[in-house]
Amino acid sequence: MKIEFYNKVKGEKEDRMLNELFRQKLENAEVTPSLSVSANLMRRLGRREFLHFNPTRFNIWYAGSIAVAGTAIAIFLSSGPDKNKIERKTQEPVSIEIKNSNVTDSLAVNIPSNQSLNPSENIQGKAEGRRKSPSITTEAGKNEKVNQGISGQGDIISTPSAIVSLLPKNGVIKETSTEKDELKGGINNSENLIEASVTEGCTPLKIRFKNKAGSFDSCVWNFGDGGYSTQKNPEWIFDNAGEYKVILQVSGPGDIKSVSLTVIIVHPKPSTKFEFTPENAILPDDQISFRNYSTGAEKYRWDFGDGNFSELYEPLYSYKKSGKYNVRLVAISEFDCSDSLTIYNAFSNSGYYINFPNAFIPNPNGPTGGYFTLKSDEASQVFHPVFSGVSDYQLRIFNRRGVMIFESNDVNIGWDGYYKGQLSNAGVYIWKVRGNFVNGETFIKMGDVTLLKN
Amino acid sequence: MMSDQEIIEGCAKHDRKSQQLLYDKYSRFLLGVCLRYATDKAEAEDILQDSFLKIFFNIKDFSGTGSFIGWLRKVAVNTAITHYHKNLKYRYHIEIEEYVSVETGVASFEQDFFTSDELYKVLNELPAGYRMVFNLYAVEGYKHKEIAKMLGIDTNTSKSQYSRAKAAIRDKLEILRKLKSNYSASDK
Repeated sequence: MKIEFYNKVKGEKEDRMLNELFRQKLENAEVTPSLSVSANLMRRLGRREFLHFNPTRFNIWYAGSIAVAGTAIAIFLSSGPDKNKIERKTQEPVSIEIKNSNVTDSLAVNIPSNQSLNPSENIQGKAEGRRKSPSITTEAGKNEKVNQGISGQGDIISTPSAIVSLLPKNGVIKETSTEKDELKGGINNSENLIEASVTEGCTPLKIRFKNKAGSFDSCVWNFGDGGYSTQKNPEWIFDNAGEYKVILQVSGPGDIKSVSLTVIIVHPKPSTKFEFTPENAILPDDQISFRNYSTGAEKYRWDFGDGNFSELYEPLYSYKKSGKYNVRLVAISEFDCSDSLTIYNAFSNSGYYINFPNAFIPNPNGPTGGYFTLKSDEASQVFHPVFSGVSDYQLRIFNRRGVMIFESNDVNIGWDGYYKGQLSNAGVYIWKVRGNFVNGETFIKMGDVTLLKN
Repeated sequence: MMSDQEIIEGCAKHDRKSQQLLYDKYSRFLLGVCLRYATDKAEAEDILQDSFLKIFFNIKDFSGTGSFIGWLRKVAVNTAITHYHKNLKYRYHIEIEEYVSVETGVASFEQDFFTSDELYKVLNELPAGYRMVFNLYAVEGYKHKEIAKMLGIDTNTSKSQYSRAKAAIRDKLEILRKLKSNYSASDK
């Protein structure tokens, strides 16, 4: 007792000395960091601060708001009127020659809606430029171009307030309209330039599109499902069922624009699912009952893998002999879309198994006899297999010296980590198991398990 | 030379110059702290970077009442703990070997016998769990209860880890000491 006590005091003293040693030496020790650390740090700091809101610095919030504002302005400025312009261009170009060459500013002229735009008539408009209400004369009769423009005048007349802007540089007035309906006229005028490999099919539907236009500057395909392409002859895959309006816009050469439209119908694909019972059938004794869980189909075709077929919804089938069979079900929808599912080697998997963990932590409070419960399993206190369909079984566990320290013939009794009433040392142990499943199949497995201590 | 107070105020405003000053002034000390919690200098420098990011972003939370250097140390230690947890899943190996019986014939360690570099090396070589507990208990001076809470482990685990760490350290120091004595003996 005396010696133990002495040792304890001595131990505590050593403890303090050890702690003291580290504290004294290392508590305020300084180590010079590598040069790269500072640079790295500042770079990361810059990045983090950029993401971090701070009103006094440039950061992502600023960049974000600038980007948003910029985009908004860009959309406002370009996209709105620009779009109309493009659409307008799909029609015959309307241009009005201005004889008044004094006009140098850009002017907007309001045409009263009830006023018809007749070539021989003078348009009296309100000019919103610096000049005082100039009177613009369109002497269309003298110009071929204007005559063409007049052919499209019906639109202009119907427009409540068509805005005529004057582009005086070349003396041509370009007419833009706020009405989109005019687009249709442009499409109808030209032939449909879209050629599709198919226009109807099942998902995923792959279609090769062809642009039949002979020569053009550029084209844009809008596939109607959010996809775009600027290739001449694109290929597109429609992943989802639905009706899609595929629009092709071809522009050029010159001001010519054409818009073509084709409707693509994509049918949904059925989904095939099936099961069979009994799960661990023994062939040929058991009659197999197939369960069909397919959706979106109206016709079925079963291939039992032995050369026989069935078109029933849920067939019953007896195999002539045991063997490996691949069972396949093809489900076909009303649109002839099909989907299939094959279960390979459907009846050979017996569903029986035995598996062992690779570590456990014995209960330190004493041997438990190897019985395991959900509670002991939660703490991994007993080494035992998880299994299904085991009929007989022999488990042996050896330590590293090769001494057998545990044996069990009962699959429900595992090893609690004790040998002759003593908790075994932490470490690796070897196990070997042999036995039979209820269907007569033999299993032999071996492996190692690590005994851990908390 | 700016005072700590000025540097802190500068950093709170995210002033780049103040941040650089703070780094220059305290990085060596903080790396000294981080190195105790790491396996090598590279890992320590990772922890150092993370610590400084935390420091720069949370410097306004420093109340100004306690010691600044104490606050810095605390941030570094907490970062090291986070780092330890983050990397826990990569440290698969579990120390099964137990440092139970150690010859305690060498009772006293003279303060100046080992250099701080050697002590760092001893710590760096420890298993991560031992190192965390030993540092927090022996150097930082936390109680086992607090350590258990910080590391998310049981108080008893903390205690046993600590005693195992001690045993391991003693072993390593003893080997080192023998090596060094041999050297000095052969010198003579």
